[in-house]
Amino acid sequence: MKDRLAAAVQQSRADYTEVRVERTWSSAVAFRGRRLETATVSEDQGGFVRVLNNGCGWGIASFTSLDELPAMVTRANELSRAVRLEEPIRLADIAPQTADAVLDLDGDVRGIPLADKKSLLDRYNTAMLGVSDLIVDTQASYRDEVSEVWFVNSEGTSLYQLRPEVVVSGTAIGRRNGSIEKGLESIGLRKGWNSVQDFEPQFRVVAQRAVDLLAAPRVRGGAYPVILDNELAGVFIHEAFGHLSEADFVYENPQAREMMTLGRRFGKPVLNVGDNGAASGLRGTLPYDDEGTPTQDTALIREGILVGRLHSRETAAKLGERPTGNARAISFRHPPIVRMTNTYIAPGKLGAGFKDLIGDIKLGVYACGAFGGQTMLENFSFTAGWGYMIRDGQVAELVKDVVLAGNLFQTLDRIDTIAGDFTWNQMGGGCGKGGQFPLPVTEGAPHVRIEEALIGGDV
Amino acid sequence: MIDSLLARARGKVDNADALWRRQEQTAVAFESGRLKAAGISEEAGLNLRVVANGRMGVAGTTAAKPDLEALLERAGASAELGETVELAFPDSSPASLHPIPTYFDRTANASLAELIRMGKRLVERLARPDCQINVAVEREIAETAVGNTAGARGEYRATGIAVAVDITRIAGDDVLMVYDQYVGADLPGDADLETLVRSVETRLGAALKVVTPPEGALPVVFTPAGLSAVVLPLEQALSGKTVLQGSSPLAGKVGETLFDNRLSIIDDPLTPGRPLSRPVDDECVPSRATALVEHGKVGRFVYDLETAARAKTQSTGNGRRGIFGKPHIGYTNILFRRGGGGTDGVGTRHTYALGGGLIDDVDDGLIVDDLIGVGQGNVISGAFSHPVGLAYRVQRGEITGRVKDAAVAGNAYELLKKIGGFGSDGRWLGARYSPSLLLEGVSVARR
Repeated sequence: MKDRLAAAVQQSRADYTEVRVERTWSSAVAFRGRRLETATVSEDQGGFVRVLNNGCGWGIASFTSLDELPAMVTRANELSRAVRLEEPIRLADIAPQTADAVLDLDGDVRGIPLADKKSLLDRYNTAMLGVSDLIVDTQASYRDEVSEVWFVNSEGTSLYQLRPEVVVSGTAIGRRNGSIEKGLESIGLRKGWNSVQDFEPQFRVVAQRAVDLLAAPRVRGGAYPVILDNELAGVFIHEAFGHLSEADFVYENPQAREMMTLGRRFGKPVLNVGDNGAASGLRGTLPYDDEGTPTQDTALIREGILVGRLHSRETAAKLGERPTGNARAISFRHPPIVRMTNTYIAPGKLGAGFKDLIGDIKLGVYACGAFGGQTMLENFSFTAGWGYMIRDGQVAELVKDVVLAGNLFQTLDRIDTIAGDFTWNQMGGGCGKGGQFPLPVTEGAPHVRIEEALIGGDV
Repeated sequence: MIDSLLARARGKVDNADALWRRQEQTAVAFESGRLKAAGISEEAGLNLRVVANGRMGVAGTTAAKPDLEALLERAGASAELGETVELAFPDSSPASLHPIPTYFDRTANASLAELIRMGKRLVERLARPDCQINVAVEREIAETAVGNTAGARGEYRATGIAVAVDITRIAGDDVLMVYDQYVGADLPGDADLETLVRSVETRLGAALKVVTPPEGALPVVFTPAGLSAVVLPLEQALSGKTVLQGSSPLAGKVGETLFDNRLSIIDDPLTPGRPLSRPVDDECVPSRATALVEHGKVGRFVYDLETAARAKTQSTGNGRRGIFGKPHIGYTNILFRRGGGGTDGVGTRHTYALGGGLIDDVDDGLIVDDLIGVGQGNVISGAFSHPVGLAYRVQRGEITGRVKDAAVAGNAYELLKKIGGFGSDGRWLGARYSPSLLLEGVSVARR
């Protein structure tokens, strides 16, 4: 396959040409309530070509018919030439890479009968349904894939990557008369069959939580001291800061560059944030990004100060910085754009525990789990799965509908204590940007305390 | 392709249906006011569903020359693990299909240069020194063929075009983002592009000044874009799937008046000129409109073939399927209408005023145009709570500026019981047509 790509690149008349071909084998099983929805095996394949000419823009082609590859290289070149640019697009230099990067399959999912996958998911689904008669509905899904990706460009890079993934998730819906609540568990790993075998207890816990939330009051709206658990703190840093550190937001925008000047203080000295695409065995982990750049651990905030950002080759060249291996595409249907990989808040150096965070809070909220988050850069939301009131330094009653309204400049700076209990949260789902969803990412964080944050609700 | 696949399936399985779709997209992207990229995308795929020994299975492929025998085999293997179901495959002849225009030559034949010109015009009209402007123009041409072993066939071509504008204005540490789009099956005319420009300018102009948000249970005007958080719970609860599963709060409430009696909502796949309109659904069921809410009463839930079979009712023609996976329920075009007279409706001319003429009597409240995090949380319960993305304060009937660092919360079912007013600004936003709605007693929290 590499030869076929190399031949196509060689016949290209463009100044820069890259070709990516993917072949993805996947299987999926889904239950809804007691009923099986589907059990299927799929094969998806296609190619992507991107070319650049001096004084011109990007020409892009994606296609499912690989026989068309040479024709698509020609089409992409025509498209590039139709886009005239006064200021040329430059790409930061990357040494040509040649490698076969095969990630650990940890039990190759392609060799496991579909019936076994159905049985596994049946176990987890039954665990949720068995918790209470109040669990009226469930959604359980298992999905695995092994994706083969070939990448060749006109600068001599030639890569083959084998990327496995497995995701098991379940939603339990509890209902009592008119009120409906849900609990959500999701496990996503860049691994295989062996890694998803023993999760019944987790699925029982989320079903029980859906039941418990039926009796919980809505949180009252207002500004509170808030403690985020590891999972929500991870989503928080992804939304609050991660997206701002993606250089495609600043590279063409002088005002944004000024706002995000390296060296600016964003938090107190306790705050350290980074993104590590090279971390071992995580869902956002890749040896190379989709421009053939090796991934790395990139420091973004060090002791509260902005020290770095995430780059593609184009954004790095424009800002005179180095590519960080963050150009990613969700599939051959899309171009690579600047994305996060595994984003984290580093554990506090003082070894603080949960008690140190909660001890002096008179009235506050302990926000746990994550239904999701979204950012509009300065302002962002992150939705907890559930929460507890904090009263006089203690975790008190369960509350529901806990949604935090964040502000980049205020919320980050109000993080005053960071615990030492760091974990990676290996969730399914993914990140969406520019029409590309879901991109596998991981977030990691310890418990984090925010002096004051806004929570929506009746006031 | 469909015919030879179904011919092979006959005799091997009890029943089968299939969908073949080919899509071709052309896109141009302007970044920070400059044309940066042009791209094309071509994709074709085949999705097969079989019922074998009473059990259902599916398989799909994007291979250029698909091995039909292998596809059939995979669907069969899927069916061995599948549930039993008695699907009522439609057997209507193509003659009974409603003829609606889905394919516009002007859209299909528009050259790359034309798409670029359209984007350039928007960039020029909206350029401001303190703003960054991105424009994306995307044209799609699709061919769809559906069929089943009961003899039904459906085929149509469709075009679609989306022109999206987003503007970011950064002043110091203040970030303002304004987004709008034109989406249609036919190319936008000058007037459509002008509407887009005016819409963006109006919202940008009113947002330059930042004011303190109010607090309390307040009247809030949700613009057509801002309505998403209120509409989403209804869309979930009116799906035959959630009704069947027992998780819809509207289950068993058909015919009951649960909403303001002026509110009517329909799903209409036969609306001319919309990209999601179609003569037949993805399971070969002829298209027709479904009244979801009629004068405040819960109307009909939407179904595909499988959920209809399990609920012992008929499909409403809301079957949707991709290349992989099995068919599922999907809405087409959702239209909000004010029942019992009034001037709202498709084709009403736009008014550019923010709030659709609903703010005159608002003493202190908000206009909400965008909320952050819609769709996350416990949507079907009706409860929502979101920070504002783009919202304006209204005082004594006037817009006084943009508010930040505020969060709105409420319950969609409660809020829609009494609608304070329907705006005169009905418009399409993607696949939804609605005016602004004034809703009373929305919780607004601030820092």
